[in-house]
Amino acid sequence: MSELRTENLTISFGGLTATDNVNFNIKSGEIVGIIGPNGAGKTTLINLIAGIYYPTSGKIWLDDKDISQIPAHERSALGIGRTFQLIHPLEGLTVLQNVMTGFLFAQKMGLKQAREEARKLCRTLELTGLDRATGEINILETKKMEIAKALATNPKVMFLDEVMAGLNSTETLEAIDIVKQIAAERNLAVGVVEHVMGVITKLTHSVIVLDTGRIIAAGPYEDVAQNERVKSAYLGGGV
Amino acid sequence: MNKKKIYTIAGISAALILSVILLIIRPTILVYGIQRAGIYAAIALPMALVLGIVHIVNLAHGEMMMVAAYLSYFICTTFGIDPLVAAIPTGIIMFFLGLIIFKTSIAHTLEAPELNQLILTFGVAMVLSQSVNLIATSQPRKISLDYVSASATIGDVSFGIYDFIFPVLAALFLAVLIYFLKKTRLGKAASAVGQNPRGARIVGINVDLTYTIIFSLASMIIGVFGSFFITKFSIFPAVGGTFTMKSFALVAMAGIGNLPMVIGASLVLGLAESLVMSVPHGAGWSPMIFFGLIIIVILSRSFRSKQ
Amino acid sequence: MNSTVQKNKTWPVIFGILGVIVMILPFFSGPYIQSIGRTVITYMILAISWDMLIRSGQLSFGLAGFFGLGSYAAVLSAVNLHFNPFISIVFAALVAGLIAFLVGAVVLRLRGMYFAITTLALGEIFRIIIHNWTSLTGGPNGKLLPKLAFDGASIPTYAMMVLFALIIIALSEYFKRSRIHYALTAIRDNEIVAKSSGINIYKYLLIAFTVTAAIQGAAGAGFAQLYGFVTPESSFNANYTLIPLAMTLLGGMYSTWGPVIGAVLLGVLGEFLKLYIPYGHLVVYGIIIILVLLFMPWGIVGMAGRLLKKGESHE
Repeated sequence: MSELRTENLTISFGGLTATDNVNFNIKSGEIVGIIGPNGAGKTTLINLIAGIYYPTSGKIWLDDKDISQIPAHERSALGIGRTFQLIHPLEGLTVLQNVMTGFLFAQKMGLKQAREEARKLCRTLELTGLDRATGEINILETKKMEIAKALATNPKVMFLDEVMAGLNSTETLEAIDIVKQIAAERNLAVGVVEHVMGVITKLTHSVIVLDTGRIIAAGPYEDVAQNERVKSAYLGGGV
Repeated sequence: MNKKKIYTIAGISAALILSVILLIIRPTILVYGIQRAGIYAAIALPMALVLGIVHIVNLAHGEMMMVAAYLSYFICTTFGIDPLVAAIPTGIIMFFLGLIIFKTSIAHTLEAPELNQLILTFGVAMVLSQSVNLIATSQPRKISLDYVSASATIGDVSFGIYDFIFPVLAALFLAVLIYFLKKTRLGKAASAVGQNPRGARIVGINVDLTYTIIFSLASMIIGVFGSFFITKFSIFPAVGGTFTMKSFALVAMAGIGNLPMVIGASLVLGLAESLVMSVPHGAGWSPMIFFGLIIIVILSRSFRSKQ
Repeated sequence: MNSTVQKNKTWPVIFGILGVIVMILPFFSGPYIQSIGRTVITYMILAISWDMLIRSGQLSFGLAGFFGLGSYAAVLSAVNLHFNPFISIVFAALVAGLIAFLVGAVVLRLRGMYFAITTLALGEIFRIIIHNWTSLTGGPNGKLLPKLAFDGASIPTYAMMVLFALIIIALSEYFKRSRIHYALTAIRDNEIVAKSSGINIYKYLLIAFTVTAAIQGAAGAGFAQLYGFVTPESSFNANYTLIPLAMTLLGGMYSTWGPVIGAVLLGVLGEFLKLYIPYGHLVVYGIIIILVLLFMPWGIVGMAGRLLKKGESHE
């Protein structure tokens, strides 16, 4: 049983506050949607938690440990996994080798064990043709590889940053099933950024809504969707 | 923008304070320092222009200056004219040489990773220096001119006055470049490209043409400087190498895109070197100042940008 | 550079075997060929070391700097501490590695052009210190070695260099086959993704920088043992940066066999050209750098791999 909790998490770039006093938590077994208009600070929040940025103020607790000042690669080993909105496969490595990195470094396995574990993981995700270059695989396979890379670090908490974007409706449904199944099997805490609300309703237990770096609403999607501030944020964001 | 101004002011005032101290202790150090600074600034400005707008580090920068100096040398010895007159044809020839170099090689790597541009221009540098080695051998060459040894005495201090031509030249380059970038249509377009190439393309600026013109223009400035260089220094195929590094360091110190600050950075370097050279046995160590400075500047810049 | 995943291992190995055969040939020839062989091997070792670092995406122009440092460390330790030639080579590797480790702690925060120019500047700093520290280094006049390895006998010295090259080839292959390969490739492709997979970027860059500098230092020490003297101008010669770079590019980056093939081809060509064009024969190297970069960025080994792959897909 794990819990990730942020406490007044804030970061400013120059004069711009991209994440502003964000307090939220995810527990094992929960899938939380992170929604909000473009530029609301969703990816920044993930980057803060993953350690790509260090917060200007505030703390990030993983269980009883403050991880807000720990470097990214150590957070990965401690159990923070993530995918990337703009997918950057490691082009110099094959699909299998891409997946192996998490086992090798976050889990500190040897080459042989990492290779076996990566194969096993890819089999559960029905990802085949593992010796191909990353440029040779289709979009669904790429997304599966991204999820596999995140899972290879053996996360307690996993963030999926627009993992469904670019998939067609059948592929999206398949991906939703995969994520649900993994989250349940591994008892993961999952944070999901998505723009398609259909995905959010099917996948998440609750959501937080970000606007200009602040949480403006939280709770089950059906309740939040009725919130006036949320409506105006989305409408306003469209201008 | 505000921060940039603060650094500019801080840099210039540091140079000023250093100059005042030097003026009081040893005026000759100040004089030589300013003269050196002029040389550095004049050769660093075209690199600042290319780096600020085309966003490439041209590792053949110093070698192009060397080629220009040789061109000027051969023009002078063939036609019996003064290098300061030869600056005009040399500048024109270098404009076209720059154009050719850019069009045939560098332009093809603009979309490629930075690594490719660095290695490519490194290769260009090698071709230039070795071609000159092949054609003109490594024997040093020099033009003797009477007017370069003119000196002046103020109080009990005597110093060469010809060398002040370099600070004047640097100021001239800066003035022309700033006028070009701020007042002319082409220059304004180039500034826009430098700040945001994609945006500039969207509003209809021909980005590729702008890059070509800016690189050729920078080559022309290098050409003019090369002619002035030969008036005072002897040249050999390897003479340009250090100017690539020095120019890069000065541009990094000034901040990419900040042309006036190149003058301030050059003053700091020139004065510091001149100071070390005045110390007994200091001459051999003076290059150290520069390399130490490069490393400090580059490191502090990169740490600041990470904040 | 376009990244290529090398799946086919046959071609590189064939190149490797050819390279090794070429290295063995001079044993059956005279001292002149062997001396050319030693020069080529020196460049080969430098080329491999440069490639080992570029695999992480970091372009170093510091080869000549660590090379010179190593050559001085070897000679000075032999003169002052009476180290025998072989221990002095190991000592030189340790000195260069240690200095790289200390400097790397700071310099490896830099990327791209900043890293490249700083490594170039570092080399110059080493040269200036050695040039000016006359009491220890002999200043511009340099130092003589009291005793050459094997008293300068041609065949054993050549054998020593071949052995040295084989060790470096093995080390490079270890880098290619161990977890270091995964870490360095990930760093080259995307540092943020690498971090998120748990890779300690700084640690792996420091390993690569230190090990390659130690190799360059050892190569410099080997050079000092071959020629018996060091001067700032000869030991810190920019050619020790330029030539290996051209060799690696021609042969193909991101592999062991690319630099090996490149070194054999360009090394032999260079010695040949030197006979006809004593000044400026290096212009050929510059032209090769430009042409390879524009038209054949994967080098010979990469091209061969690609051709082979095309052949397979037609079957």
